[in-house]
Amino acid sequence: MGNEYILGIFTLAGINLMTVLGLSLLTGFTGLFSFGHAGFMAIGGYATALMTLNFHWPFIPSLMVGGLAAALVSAVLGKVTLKLKGDYFCIATLGFGEAVRLILDNVQTFGGARGWPGIPHYTNFWNVLGINIVAIIILANLIHSRHGRNMIAVREEELASQIVGINVFKYKMISLVISAAYAGIAGGMMGHYMTFLQPKMFSLVKSTELTIIVIFGGLGSISGSVLGALVLTSLPEILRAFSSWRLVFYGLAVIFIMISRPEGLMGGYELTPSSMKRLYRNIVSKRSKAVHSAGGDK
Amino acid sequence: MGILELHGLTKTFGGLTAVGDVNFNVEKDSISGLIGPNGAGKTTIFNLITGVYKVTSGKIIFDGKDITNKEPYLIAESGITRTFQNIRLFKKLTVYENVLTACHYNANYSIFDSVLRLPKFRKQEKKLTEQAAELIEIMGLESRKDLIANNLPYGLQRRLEIARALALMPKLLLLDEPAAGMNPDETEQLMKLISEIRKRFNLTILIIEHHMDLIMGICENIMVLNFGCKLAEGTPTDVQNDKSVIEAYLGVE
Amino acid sequence: MTQFFQQLINGISIGSVYALMAVGYSLVYSIMNFSNFAHGGVIMFGAYFGFFFLTLLRFPFPLAFLSAAICSAILALIIERVAYKPLRERKAPFLYFIISAMGASIFLENLVIAIPAIGPTFRTYPEIFNKQPIKIGELAMGKLDIAMFLISAICLIVLIYIIDHTKIGKAIQATSYNIKASALMGVNTDFILVTIFLMGGFLAGIAGVLFGMKYTVYPQIGIITNKSFIAAVFGGLGSLPGAVIGSVLLGIIETFTAGYFSSQYRDLIAFVLLITVLVVRPMGLMGKVTEDKA
Repeated sequence: MGNEYILGIFTLAGINLMTVLGLSLLTGFTGLFSFGHAGFMAIGGYATALMTLNFHWPFIPSLMVGGLAAALVSAVLGKVTLKLKGDYFCIATLGFGEAVRLILDNVQTFGGARGWPGIPHYTNFWNVLGINIVAIIILANLIHSRHGRNMIAVREEELASQIVGINVFKYKMISLVISAAYAGIAGGMMGHYMTFLQPKMFSLVKSTELTIIVIFGGLGSISGSVLGALVLTSLPEILRAFSSWRLVFYGLAVIFIMISRPEGLMGGYELTPSSMKRLYRNIVSKRSKAVHSAGGDK
Repeated sequence: MGILELHGLTKTFGGLTAVGDVNFNVEKDSISGLIGPNGAGKTTIFNLITGVYKVTSGKIIFDGKDITNKEPYLIAESGITRTFQNIRLFKKLTVYENVLTACHYNANYSIFDSVLRLPKFRKQEKKLTEQAAELIEIMGLESRKDLIANNLPYGLQRRLEIARALALMPKLLLLDEPAAGMNPDETEQLMKLISEIRKRFNLTILIIEHHMDLIMGICENIMVLNFGCKLAEGTPTDVQNDKSVIEAYLGVE
Repeated sequence: MTQFFQQLINGISIGSVYALMAVGYSLVYSIMNFSNFAHGGVIMFGAYFGFFFLTLLRFPFPLAFLSAAICSAILALIIERVAYKPLRERKAPFLYFIISAMGASIFLENLVIAIPAIGPTFRTYPEIFNKQPIKIGELAMGKLDIAMFLISAICLIVLIYIIDHTKIGKAIQATSYNIKASALMGVNTDFILVTIFLMGGFLAGIAGVLFGMKYTVYPQIGIITNKSFIAAVFGGLGSLPGAVIGSVLLGIIETFTAGYFSSQYRDLIAFVLLITVLVVRPMGLMGKVTEDKA
């Protein structure tokens, strides 16, 4: 069992990570908070399943359709809500996510609230890994460009961004659409991993969990998001033995993180080969300094 | 005509008139000053020019084009930028990142180019980093380029804000109390810097300031505001000898 | 026509309970500017408090009612002290409050499920008001519905009286207008926060008991209480009259949707309404419009 079980957990973590990466762009780098990304996952999940089941498309193109569907819906949502001030945007996404779930509850074509069984099991560890690597590269390249810098500027100071000629609305929109596309693809992978879809898989609790992962990992850090998704997906799985108490601890942990280490695991820093080298050098130089000063005491 | 023309500019908040029927011309390549007691509506005029506030009535013409009530980022694109009275930097970014971000306007590669790291991205990005480095050098911030903006001393934060504004290669620069909180030495340096960058970048500059030495020292034309209305206008000597200005500042004896 | 009035009465009755919950969201929002999602958990606990006081401790109804309200008030205060106060002292952005509130809400909901003596089972309140409806002509009104309306109305009137006519109420208003200035003018803002959490929690307890009597008690009641949050947004977050009007309107809209279309759309209509309000009039029916300062 060992290997299968661990690969399974990593696959689930990878699916979560896909949404978290998108949310990291939106929340960590652009400063917008969403409580509705489970809704985009749902849209992507159902659209992907529709393509593989009803149109017999191959898996990867179907996932692209799922991502595209979520992106289109997010563009419409963004058009009407992105002008709202911070917390109202947040509430609007919450309402959106719940509305998607309740609509799917009532669409009998997809099985309504009972769910949609019989989706082929296409998702595995390796394609999740591949997709996530591509997703991380895209994200990292985007962030280290003028477009990414503009998003960060919007996060830091909206008014100043406008004054230096950044179209704040446009960059919020780009960020939202990309994050929704990521969530849509994740939803598609989820459906083809569980082999069924049910609206209640995409509740407000799911959206909250995703945002919590981003914050836990550290706002403005891709590697933080990766770590966050790995830790916070696998931990509840490992703690499954404690059944219902694990969510009690989870809730407490969330409060604890907020009040004690709000900058998250990585706090805006990235884990890259060069940053590791720098860290190593710092430690070494500190140690040699310590040696020197100890020597200088004489 | 001037590069910037304000025609009957008016802004009311509820029943309160913050700026009332102000007419003003800023000549191209000049340094002009905007002075007046606190609450006279100076910063409100900056907010109106840069599109932060919506104009109640009147017109703003810049470089022959009507820019009244345009989105702030479009106004920035047309060549006007500014600094803020209460400094608004990208606080958690480094000095270098602050300037580099503002340079964005001088590149046009697409998201696609950046995701795939296409040649266009590499070429333009190289140009941007050079430009940012040059600006930082001109503004004398080189030794601190990797410091987080928020950790800079106050005077240097103001300098950085000017550097960031210059990154847009503006035609008109609005400075909102650039010398606030500076000692006489720093103010002196700032005056030199302002004259220098004007020559170097072919700028037109409009300054709000309370330091009269600075205003009288470098401005060619000055407008005095009081209670949202224009009180006087002219050369520093004209304004200094204007009776109504003296009354407004010192009160009638 | 009879059906119309019947639905209207049902809608007002349920809407008045929403109002009790919604004012809790609005009170906190008016001062702290964030949506306190832990409020739903407090309402749920209120329902359980009432249930156990009645069945386990066999309190008489009024005493059980009052005790449940007091316990909920204390719970709301504990949440404020543990989950929000440290954030307040650090001047954290509003989002951290929301996440912390979500954490508290996850904690409360699952605590109930995890404690073996409570668990996820649905519990039915003992019958306090008999099911025999009062008839006025063609219209039938449940005694419970009437009680719900009356109790909610009395609580809300008392609340609004406190806010408008007492010293502490004036201090609350001042604080909601400008928390920093109020503190400078000598208002003890920490005490104000204690007061609003106690008041919000007290009303949450009452709402929880009423809700439990009308339906059943189970850990996920919080999902229903989300609708009272929508009502608060609908009326204008931070405005108490807005919360009340928004709640009653939402109650009526819901019962009409259920009555004339399908009960399946009852929940959906609430969220659709939420988005519509945010798009068309984000400050809600009675909210104040603010202009950003540069």
